[in-house]
Amino acid sequence: MATEHTAPMQPPRTETGWIGWARFNLFGSVPSTIVTVVSAPLALWACWAGLSWVFTTADWTLVTSRPQQYVIGIYPTEHAWRPLVGWLMVSVLFGLAAGMWKGAALRIAIGYGAIALVVGLLPYGALHEGVNMPLDIRLLVLGNLPVLAVAYWLGTTEAVGRPRWLIVGGLVTYVLFLSLLVGLPGVTAVLPGVTAMEPVSPRVWGGLMLNLILSVSGIVLSFPIGVALALGRRSNLPVVKLMCVVFIEVFRGVPLITLLFVSQVLVPLALPENFPVNSVTRAAIVITLFSAAYMAENIRGGLQGLPPGQAEAARALGLPGWRVTVWILLPQAVRNVIPAIVGQFIGLFKDTSLVYIIGMLDILEIGRAVVQGNVEFADNGRELYLFVAVIFWLITYTMSYASRSLERHLGVGQR
Amino acid sequence: MTSLTYQGIPVWRHARILGWTAQIVSAIIVIAAVAFFIYNLASAVEERDIPRGWSFLSREYSTPISESLLPYEESDTFAYAFLVAATNTLTLSLVGVAFATVLGIVIGSAQLAGNWILSRAAKVYVEFFRNVPLIVQLFFWYIVLLGLPQVREGYVWFDAIYMNNSGLSLPWLKAQDTVLAWGIYAAVAVAAALAVQQVAIRRELRTGRPSYPLVWASVTAVLIGAVAWVSLGAPLVIDLPRPVGRFGHLQGGIGLSIELAALLVGLIIYTSAFIAEIVRAGLQSVSRGQGEASRSLGLNAMETLRYVTFPQALRVIIPPLISQYLNLTKNSSLAIAIGYADLTSVAKTMTQTAPAISIFLIIMAIYLLFSLGYSLIGNLYNRHIQFRGG
Repeated sequence: MATEHTAPMQPPRTETGWIGWARFNLFGSVPSTIVTVVSAPLALWACWAGLSWVFTTADWTLVTSRPQQYVIGIYPTEHAWRPLVGWLMVSVLFGLAAGMWKGAALRIAIGYGAIALVVGLLPYGALHEGVNMPLDIRLLVLGNLPVLAVAYWLGTTEAVGRPRWLIVGGLVTYVLFLSLLVGLPGVTAVLPGVTAMEPVSPRVWGGLMLNLILSVSGIVLSFPIGVALALGRRSNLPVVKLMCVVFIEVFRGVPLITLLFVSQVLVPLALPENFPVNSVTRAAIVITLFSAAYMAENIRGGLQGLPPGQAEAARALGLPGWRVTVWILLPQAVRNVIPAIVGQFIGLFKDTSLVYIIGMLDILEIGRAVVQGNVEFADNGRELYLFVAVIFWLITYTMSYASRSLERHLGVGQR
Repeated sequence: MTSLTYQGIPVWRHARILGWTAQIVSAIIVIAAVAFFIYNLASAVEERDIPRGWSFLSREYSTPISESLLPYEESDTFAYAFLVAATNTLTLSLVGVAFATVLGIVIGSAQLAGNWILSRAAKVYVEFFRNVPLIVQLFFWYIVLLGLPQVREGYVWFDAIYMNNSGLSLPWLKAQDTVLAWGIYAAVAVAAALAVQQVAIRRELRTGRPSYPLVWASVTAVLIGAVAWVSLGAPLVIDLPRPVGRFGHLQGGIGLSIELAALLVGLIIYTSAFIAEIVRAGLQSVSRGQGEASRSLGLNAMETLRYVTFPQALRVIIPPLISQYLNLTKNSSLAIAIGYADLTSVAKTMTQTAPAISIFLIIMAIYLLFSLGYSLIGNLYNRHIQFRGG
């Protein structure tokens, strides 16, 4: 009789480690083996060709020689500190969120800080004669890092690290950022000679900043409008329902480009003469309403997916009508359709690249202006579009990453 | 004795009265806003003498349309120009939808493949093309295609497919004079085949012996086709593109301009990435046990996919798929960015010589019509494949 434990046998070496992995994932069956044999060299060649194009053939001068234009467009250089101060305020929000939630929010904030570091330290002068970033601008960009760190620390504290402060901070940042960009004419009137806050026309807003402003405005406003439309469409008041259905179907049935044209040609006519509405506002309104119509359908889907017992139970407990909707139905409905809602936000961000149709210089159009306006860049279109694609991809991918971690956090599909 | 009259809730808290008040107030606000906009529009039109009305529709458009499926001349009317542009958009949409669906299904299934390289490649494809704005992709494909060699040095395959920087030329079918008579034969053939199939099915049900309804139906159709061929000759001939003249311009076949080719490539790749995600989610929604049960009943992998997994996944796939078809149709309006004459870009040009308000109303109506068409077909098909009680 055996008195000693026999050590368990090791699994066969071909079943574990990278050999086992390859056996299961690359050579699992005859067709799989054929696919591997054919596609592995192809994939390696594609990676090699792509990387060698990016690092040797491609000429990135059109990006590196004028980084400022891609970020803030043709916003006057002497006022460039204004969007940069706005950037500092945004860093506060990222830092707070990272300190409060850790996890994915922290990883996003680290990536965000890394971008600020790279932008602030890049040796532009070494790359191109005469192109350099002034020291004050560099310091403002690098200032994002300490701001991020302090905000992170604040976020971890009990007193500040609450979602409500993040929301308040977000709204304050939004308003301050826009007023910084527009300028405060009152300042020059009161203190003649102080030109720091003189007005800057929204016509010169541009670059990635314009895409971000339009999409943040759209996201913030289209969500409540979408909720209202979804509730209106499900209400049992026929007139309200009809108006919501017509609005939703018209905005969903027509391309955004057509709506942007309409906004450009008809909206100025439909408003009283001299009504102060500039093209940025018009574009923001159209993008918001377009997105709200889609948002309404997403939220309606979420509401339809809820079992009727939820509303009945809430009513049986004595909750009055609107509170059933706001406290019981909407939170569950929105939670269930987070992927669709974030997908809609991503779509909205991508759609901001269409504003060039009405003559605005977003990151794509400013790049096209660089290519078309300079003979030396005439053949560099591919580099430009790849660069813009990567910028858009980074931001949209971050959004879907945040959405996935939010879903995990809320336990969607696990309750 | 105190009267027990029912006091009731006060009027201002009565649900029905509250409801009606809300409706009337909101209706008044909306109608007032719309009336305000229309009044401003009308007075602006009056004051600034902006063209209006619908009489322009019968006027000559007298502006070229760069490329169209229907024959078009500059002396044609605005109304016909609308038809030409709408046909262009519809063609784009149908061709795009067909290719995007096939590509999307292939890539969506590849995402679930057991082979690591294949599933990774499919994932990268989806994540990249879905997350980059279509307009950036269109500009990219456009300059890539513009970088192709000139006509005389272009790529030629099998002396039939020509690709160069002025476009793509493919073989196409050319209708002969007998095509109408062929149509009649075809109708007869279809009717006869259906009748034969029904007879065979009945026989199979009655006798229990296999009667091969599909085989007999096909034989009937082929026989009638053979009669037609002998009596009429071929209905269509293949028309090959061929270079003509000193500069080697291509004639014959069907030609796609660079703009159209770039637009199609961009739309198909962009939409297929979305469709791939829908297909993947649909296939994953079918519970694993279904496939395992089917395998243990003796169906092979292909039959399991064809008869068990896919039909069930289809129920999840169809509704979002239809909205992708709609998106593709609407996204085709980005044609204006690279200069293909679709509905939106023709309409934009028209606004220079005709009333903008009428033109926008017309194109919005046409796009809504397309949307309704796709939704209608989609919903009918969706109802057809849903679970039926029983």
